[in-house]
Amino acid sequence: MSPSRREFLWTMGAAAATVALKGAQDVFWESDESLDVGWVPGIEERRNSACLICPSRCGISGRLVDGRLVRINGNPLHPLSRGGLCPRGVAGVQMLYHPERLAGPMLRAGPRGGGQWETVTREHAISRVADRLGELRAAGRPETLALLAGYNAGTIQDIWRQFLHSFGSPNYVADEYEDGTDAVMALMHGIDRRPSYDLDRARLVLSFGAPMFESWWSPLQAFVAFASPGDEAESGPRFVQIDTRFSRTASRAHEWVGVRPGTHAVLALGIAYVLIRDELFDADFVARHVSGFEDFVDAQGQPREGYRSLVMRNYRTEEVSAITGVPVARITSLARAFAAVRPSVAVCGTDVTFAPNGLLAGLAVHSINVLMGSINRPGGVLFPEDTPIRPLATPVLDETARAGVGREPIGAGGSTFASGDPALRFAEAVAGAQAPVEALLLYYANPIASSAQPEVWREALEKIPFVVSFSPFLDETTRYADVILPDLLPYERWQDAPTPFSYPYPVWGLAQPLVEPRQGAWHTGDVVLALAQSLGGNVAESLPYESFEGLLKERARGLFAVRRGMTLGGEFERTHHRQMEERGWWLPEHAEFEPFWEELVERGGWTDQFYDHTDPYRLARTDSGRIELMPAALFNALAEQGSALRPYLDVATPTAEGSREFGLRLIPYRVSTLASGTLSLERWLAEQPGIFPDVLWHPWVEVAPETAHTLGFSDDTLVWVVSPQGRYRARLKVFPGTAPETVCAPYGLRQPDGQPANPLQLLDGSNDPLTGLPSWSSTFVRLERV
Amino acid sequence: MRQAVREKLARMSNDEQILLRPLVETSRSFYVVAALLAAITLWGMFAYYVQVTYGLGRTGLNRPSYWGIYIICFVFFIGISHAGTLISAILRVSKAEWRRSITRSAELITVLVIGFGAIQPITDLGRPDRVLNVIFHAQLSSPLLWDVTSIGLYFISCTIYLYIPMLPDLAIIRDSGIKAPRLYRFLAAGYRDTPAQRARLERVIGVLSIIVIPIAVSVHTVIGWIFAMTLRPMWHSTIFGPYFVMGAIYSGIAAILVAMVVLRRAFGLQQYFKDIHFDYLGRLLLLFSLLWFYFTFAEYLTAFYGGEPGEMRAFWSKLTGPFAIPFWTMVLGCFVIPLSLMSRRSMRTPRGTLIAGIAVMIGMWLERFNIVVPTSVNPRWEIESIGQYLPSWVELSIMAATFSGFTLLYMLATKFVPIVSIWEIKEGREHSVREVADRVAEYLPESA
Amino acid sequence: MARWGMVIDLDRCTGCAACEVACKSENNVAAVSADQADMGRASSWMKVMAHVEGEFPDTTMHFYPRPCMHCDNPPCIRVCPVQATYIDDEGIVGQIYARCIGCRYCANACPYMVKYFNWYGPEWSESERQHLNPDVSVRPTGVIEKCTFCHHRLQKAREDARADGRELREEDYQPACADVCPTNAIAFGDLDNPSHAVHSLKADPRVLRLMEDLGTQPKVYYLRPRE
Ligand SMILES: Nc1nc2c(c(=O)[nH]1)N[C@H]1C(S)=C(S)[C@@H](COP(=O)(O)OP(=O)(O)OC[C@H]3O[C@@H](n4cnc5c(=O)[nH]c(N)nc54)[C@H](O)[C@@H]3O)O[C@H]1N2
Ligand SMILES: Nc1nc2c(c(=O)[nH]1)N[C@H]1C(S)=C(S)[C@@H](COP(=O)(O)OP(=O)(O)OC[C@H]3O[C@@H](n4cnc5c(=O)[nH]c(N)nc54)[C@H](O)[C@@H]3O)O[C@H]1N2
Ligand code: SF4
Ligand code: SF4
Ligand code: SF4
Ligand code: SF4
Ligand code: SF4
Ligand SMILES: [Mo]
Repeated sequence: MSPSRREFLWTMGAAAATVALKGAQDVFWESDESLDVGWVPGIEERRNSACLICPSRCGISGRLVDGRLVRINGNPLHPLSRGGLCPRGVAGVQMLYHPERLAGPMLRAGPRGGGQWETVTREHAISRVADRLGELRAAGRPETLALLAGYNAGTIQDIWRQFLHSFGSPNYVADEYEDGTDAVMALMHGIDRRPSYDLDRARLVLSFGAPMFESWWSPLQAFVAFASPGDEAESGPRFVQIDTRFSRTASRAHEWVGVRPGTHAVLALGIAYVLIRDELFDADFVARHVSGFEDFVDAQGQPREGYRSLVMRNYRTEEVSAITGVPVARITSLARAFAAVRPSVAVCGTDVTFAPNGLLAGLAVHSINVLMGSINRPGGVLFPEDTPIRPLATPVLDETARAGVGREPIGAGGSTFASGDPALRFAEAVAGAQAPVEALLLYYANPIASSAQPEVWREALEKIPFVVSFSPFLDETTRYADVILPDLLPYERWQDAPTPFSYPYPVWGLAQPLVEPRQGAWHTGDVVLALAQSLGGNVAESLPYESFEGLLKERARGLFAVRRGMTLGGEFERTHHRQMEERGWWLPEHAEFEPFWEELVERGGWTDQFYDHTDPYRLARTDSGRIELMPAALFNALAEQGSALRPYLDVATPTAEGSREFGLRLIPYRVSTLASGTLSLERWLAEQPGIFPDVLWHPWVEVAPETAHTLGFSDDTLVWVVSPQGRYRARLKVFPGTAPETVCAPYGLRQPDGQPANPLQLLDGSNDPLTGLPSWSSTFVRLERV
Repeated sequence: MRQAVREKLARMSNDEQILLRPLVETSRSFYVVAALLAAITLWGMFAYYVQVTYGLGRTGLNRPSYWGIYIICFVFFIGISHAGTLISAILRVSKAEWRRSITRSAELITVLVIGFGAIQPITDLGRPDRVLNVIFHAQLSSPLLWDVTSIGLYFISCTIYLYIPMLPDLAIIRDSGIKAPRLYRFLAAGYRDTPAQRARLERVIGVLSIIVIPIAVSVHTVIGWIFAMTLRPMWHSTIFGPYFVMGAIYSGIAAILVAMVVLRRAFGLQQYFKDIHFDYLGRLLLLFSLLWFYFTFAEYLTAFYGGEPGEMRAFWSKLTGPFAIPFWTMVLGCFVIPLSLMSRRSMRTPRGTLIAGIAVMIGMWLERFNIVVPTSVNPRWEIESIGQYLPSWVELSIMAATFSGFTLLYMLATKFVPIVSIWEIKEGREHSVREVADRVAEYLPESA
Repeated sequence: MARWGMVIDLDRCTGCAACEVACKSENNVAAVSADQADMGRASSWMKVMAHVEGEFPDTTMHFYPRPCMHCDNPPCIRVCPVQATYIDDEGIVGQIYARCIGCRYCANACPYMVKYFNWYGPEWSESERQHLNPDVSVRPTGVIEKCTFCHHRLQKAREDARADGRELREEDYQPACADVCPTNAIAFGDLDNPSHAVHSLKADPRVLRLMEDLGTQPKVYYLRPRE
């Protein structure tokens, strides 16, 4: 053996191996390196805007590098979100740069839904739509045009309404899901508006089934209140969650009070009982501002029992405890706390109102706010003014338009106190050929995926000869369209972003283009204006605006003109402003409009943090000027309908039991990261849908360990969730927080292949006859192994 | 066989005739088996190509099961490598004369198996192209680096330890001229078996067999330490070093036994691998099955007594949970079967040891599995969900290719070197018998 | 010398996961497909873990947002054969992606399971690449990655402070997760600097560190929920 020979071989071997490895690297891993190409430090910029993903419409601050939107951060100046965001807002970049965004206007080429499209120019597409709409008008059938709008806020809603109105169609169909609280307010306060809750200043928030940390109108509003110390610095507002489901909100609230399904309102009245019995309620407030508390004689001269007697007679804590399952001591302590920790407020959520007796339940829950005088007071229920933006031009109606708008809107009617699900009624009417619709515009709406009855929508769409979609994505409903004029995404367009009703101060957030708009896509606001121009005549006169951006600026002049409020500013500025305004100092900071507008754009909006707590008009606008615990309108309506329902008595969901076949109660809920169809396109969100770290992407349902055990299922079993109405596939998760015999089913999820998995489509269709709102508590399902 | 070769062979001694015949005579079935093994190996290479092209994603590995088949096979094969060198060295050092006919086959296993073992962790790398970073950016505190060093050293010393004692045999082949004269001239490296050379050879072998022992011990100790140096439940254990060494020797003995039975059948070596060999090795197996039980029991009892939640999760997942089948099969293979067979004289036969050997090999592979996988999928933090691991076809193919590649090379090797050391047998016949008699006499009191 | 650390208040955290998504966005963490996710190959440098106890109706649930603990005595570092993971002077544990050989030893050594492996190369479509953060390198296939305390932000903040000729302030360097948290559950700063919030928070009686008994000395502290 010669060492030199060995050495030689070894060296050669090593050299050969190195060369081979280097070669392999170039062949196999070359692609990685290419990702780094172009990584030169770019020009960086931060610009404020608004998140338009959910009604919260938080302030965002985009981080731009060389004109690309790289990050979405919170805008700390925004009074509602204060720099925080929810995951959906953060993931917005994935929506903006989604590979499946439509490239430009398209016309259907093959048969409906066949998936063949022809790309055309904007001008071509818009003239196609304008021609078609022009024909309808010319033929004197403007009412056969309908719009289904899923985004119903701000200026875009205003111009759509104005467009349809001047066109001559009464068919603005809001694909909006009411929660019934507006009906409650209308009845008790004469104010037909959803209530605002001053969560920031409340020291005790009693939430009756509002999933405040998950969805609600603004999870961010709840988060900020949850995090910030109240007026007394040491203790923040305490959140008490009264809920059937052990939800994320329930788990993180300071206290969770589990109640039997559909008995929230009974608990509220149990609390009222203690408040009255122990004389803890605000007797002075009740005496001065409330009617119906004591027994009274109604308009027909009938003596009636007042609130006090009803409650004292029917809601003794023992009985309430038996119905709700909440121990007597707990009821008493809740009531005491509600009275002692002021200000306190009771928030009413869809758990309460989406029930067969939902409206009555809503009244009962809100009544404890009235008892405590938590109305129009800091930390209570507020009814703020609308944002003083300049109104649109007065619509001009010609003969055709006047005739058209005089017609009955399709699917109108609904129920006495709310419109329930107008979109579904619209679809039913169209599908049943009761009303001809010759053209349908789809704005921000994807009913085939989101409606409880997608087949009805499919049928309806078959009957409509001309469908235009403005969706930036080829969603399920857009696939049925004849013309697609893809909208810009929120990060590319101008749009006003008012905060939701739940927030008590006017905020006019402003979304502005953070990045260059995608070629081919077109701001639907501008499309509406352009359509109006091509239609000409009174329609053009009603919308005399060059561009949507110009229109927004025009409207902001109203904000400038009131010489109040402020462009968005930090904590200190806000407090300062509020204090000044409370003392009557209204100090406009800008003498000219232009600098005001510039600052507004730069800071991301305008707000007025002042609320006039002394204004009686914000307490009640009823004829009596009092808050009506026993609303006459309600009694009349009940009498008219021959209904046997009795306010404050029939507030619980009639106890239903599952049948042998369908033995599990279905509790659908909205996951905080998903819900709307577009969001599931964002892969980061699909990776973080719920609390189970191992369930990514897949729909799941939660059951209690013992339920799973009796059914013979284990964690991760693939099951069908079956109701008489339909079924879908989901993964079973055993969750110890779920009540036995129930199935908690998140909605908004999709199967990995994109198919919706929507528990709402399993609902039995029962509803509250007074509001038409669906009942979510009454569907029973069974689980089958796949 | 050509006539010339046959004649040459006929002129040689009986031992030489029997032991050299496989070098020049190859049966049909040999080719069939070799072709089959070659096909499997090629398939495995293709699987690796797929893995390299697309990424480690093609395996069944995931978070938290970061390690799987490759690491299991790594530990297993390096374990088997203790067959040869360690055993033959120990036997040599302890002057166990019955070793003479088995050392070569054992040492051959060792060298080949280290190679196949050592490529496992490279197969396991996410970036095999950067493997040389282990040298360029070496961090000595990493047990993986200890491994690289130790295995490297082991491989080199074993190769030498295989080669040096082979020299006289290579010289015999060269001198006989039955095969590839130039190759053997090169391989025999001028060895002429002069008394001086022979003396030097024996001295070198003596030194090597002492050096090799601590290296072999270190190799499997540090492999055990790879696991033991982490804070993972049921890995972080001081017993792992010796436990791994013991297990390695155990699986090594089993491997030799299996190899011997096969060689004996295939090449008609009944005269060389005699019943006594199986008896002795069977006893060794018996001893190790007891040792194995002792270590395993100590290990699990300690974990159980600690009762730490993280440990218990892994513990119960093996004893009664999803890994109960591999666990109890392991106990069967490593303990129950070898113990019950090898404790009986009548079973310490080729057939009995074959069964026991195979059982132990399977059991020891499962032991590696039971070390790697259950801990991997059971994170320490109890709120983390339990993982799962199912090897993909890529991993299974590569594993199959490793087994087949090893067997193939081993088969090929039998075509180039006598699988029983000719000169050692000869030496045994010529000197040892007397030497042993003398030695034994030395042990005894002088007869009055 | 600063010693960066984090204090997460479990009473404030609502488990919304904004931090998780913000971290992915800030650090170019690619999402994987559904099948890959099923196999356990999704990466979340920050993962919001749910801790559920008790059965209905006596259930409690807390959320533990879990980044890398940036241990002062990090077991992951010693085991790396190529020094591809290191702890810097200010206590930040980082990764050298260009050097890692992908052996996943560090991942096994980390008791917190916060190391993520690139089983495949990241999947970014042409259009998605536009939202990649240029301050953070995109990891290639076959290497380990994990939370870095967003140390690219520290570099930037340092440069900015130096350019302005002032000291680095607490608010100059906040990682993406702390930045976005709507309930301010995450505090971040220099644990040794009395003017930083984390300094006093880490002395709170509610403080808890995960698996502290292992001696890893994590620099991520949790404030245990009040009863
Ligand atoms: N599965 C499921 N069903 C539901 C719900 C649920 O959460 N999950 N929620 C129910 C409720 S409360 C509601 S309000 C409805 C909502 O249901 P829809 O009104 O149908 O609303 P989304 O699904 O959010 O979005 C509809 C479409 O708007 C398009 N879109 C997205 N961004 C833009 C944009 O910037 N411009 C334009 N022009 N279009 C855009 C998208 O293509 C999307 O498909 O669904 C109800 N049904
Ligand atoms: N994360 C997120 N937030 C959103 C949206 C979103 O898409 N995602 N969309 C916004 C929109 S469009 C809307 S309309 C609002 C809706 O906001 P919410 O009105 O708050 O509606 P959900 O979140 O669906 O909450 C319904 C609640 O009712 C409970 N529930 C369901 N069925 C039953 C039952 O049978 N019995 C009882 N007792 N309870 C039941 C569920 O557990 C759930 O907590 O949210 C807005 N906010
Ligand atoms: S709460 Fe709504 S508006 Fe706010 S960030 Fe989330 S999605 Fe956007
Ligand atoms: S963002 Fe904040 S509240 Fe949300 S999960 Fe993360 S730490 Fe918790
Ligand atoms: S948490 Fe894990 S990865 Fe992070 S420093 Fe500690 S050991 Fe290393
Ligand atoms: S995976 Fe990379 S960083 Fe981790 S130990 Fe191996 S080489 Fe080091
Ligand atoms: S510190 Fe940065 S890298 Fe670490 S979890 Fe937070 S955002 Fe992610
Ligand atoms: Mo909605």
